Amino acid sequence: MKLTRPLERVLRVLTADPAARHYGYDLMKAAKLPSGTLYPMLARLEQEGLVEAEWETQRPDAGGRPPRKYYRLTAEGARVARLELAQAAADDRRAAASVTRPAHGSTQ
Amino acid sequence: MTATPHVQRLAERLIRVSCRRLPADQRAERCKEWSAELPAILHDQTVRPRFMRSARALSYSAGIAATTRRLSRAAGWSRRAPASAWRDGAARAQPGNLGLRATIGLAIWLVIIFTSVSLLRAFPHPHGWTVVLILALAAAFAVCCLADIVQAPAVRYLPKWAWALICVGQIPGGGIIYLSVGRVGRSHSLPPGSAQSP
Repeated sequence: MKLTRPLERVLRVLTADPAARHYGYDLMKAAKLPSGTLYPMLARLEQEGLVEAEWETQRPDAGGRPPRKYYRLTAEGARVARLELAQAAADDRRAAASVTRPAHGSTQ
Repeated sequence: MTATPHVQRLAERLIRVSCRRLPADQRAERCKEWSAELPAILHDQTVRPRFMRSARALSYSAGIAATTRRLSRAAGWSRRAPASAWRDGAARAQPGNLGLRATIGLAIWLVIIFTSVSLLRAFPHPHGWTVVLILALAAAFAVCCLADIVQAPAVRYLPKWAWALICVGQIPGGGIIYLSVGRVGRSHSLPPGSAQSP
């Protein structure tokens, strides 16, 4: 899986607290991504077993609000995400160090 | 608090329509998930003023439309045309009656030209030719759109007859809307790796 900038942002939000659960709209706001980018990405991550989705259990104090679906990193997902982010950070540092080298993600 | 329920209904409607692209087993759940985010967006007090929340809800549902398009494309299916046989050229025009079609086309053009010339002779008008030219262009565009609708194995969002009505009813606006919204693009519906049919 190629680590794109939007994906990197989502992973950063998710790894900030791996146990936390996020609603789609929370993730959109935190990662500053539009829904058209976020949801296909979440679907892919879910398919690859890096993220798990769960339905909110209906609380009586919800005031008739429909239950929402929330997302959380799996153990495997947390491991992969940390690895990928560390890799990206290392790449960025190397790119900054040598000016001749093309920036991360500009080739391929 | 007058506009919010309308916006929510509209956004829900958009999401429902977008979800039709998904396969039946995912449709209901996805639709429920995405609709459930709408109250949260519309009551998000950090976004002010209220019309910004409405705009955000609508752009959210537009993003959902993009999402279902991407998901269905990634999985390689589309709502109306699950079989890919037609895309491989199976049910396209038979080359056998090409001569016949060309003759009919030529005859139609001759009739049109003859009629317009005789009409102009009978009723001379300073801008007669311009009017005829514009009318011919408009008619040609509408006919092209109609032909595209008839030949297409599937169209989006509306039944074929509805698109045909729109194309004929509003020239050229209807045709432009059909081509940009209703037409199933052949290029990006092709399964990856398969050859484009001639």
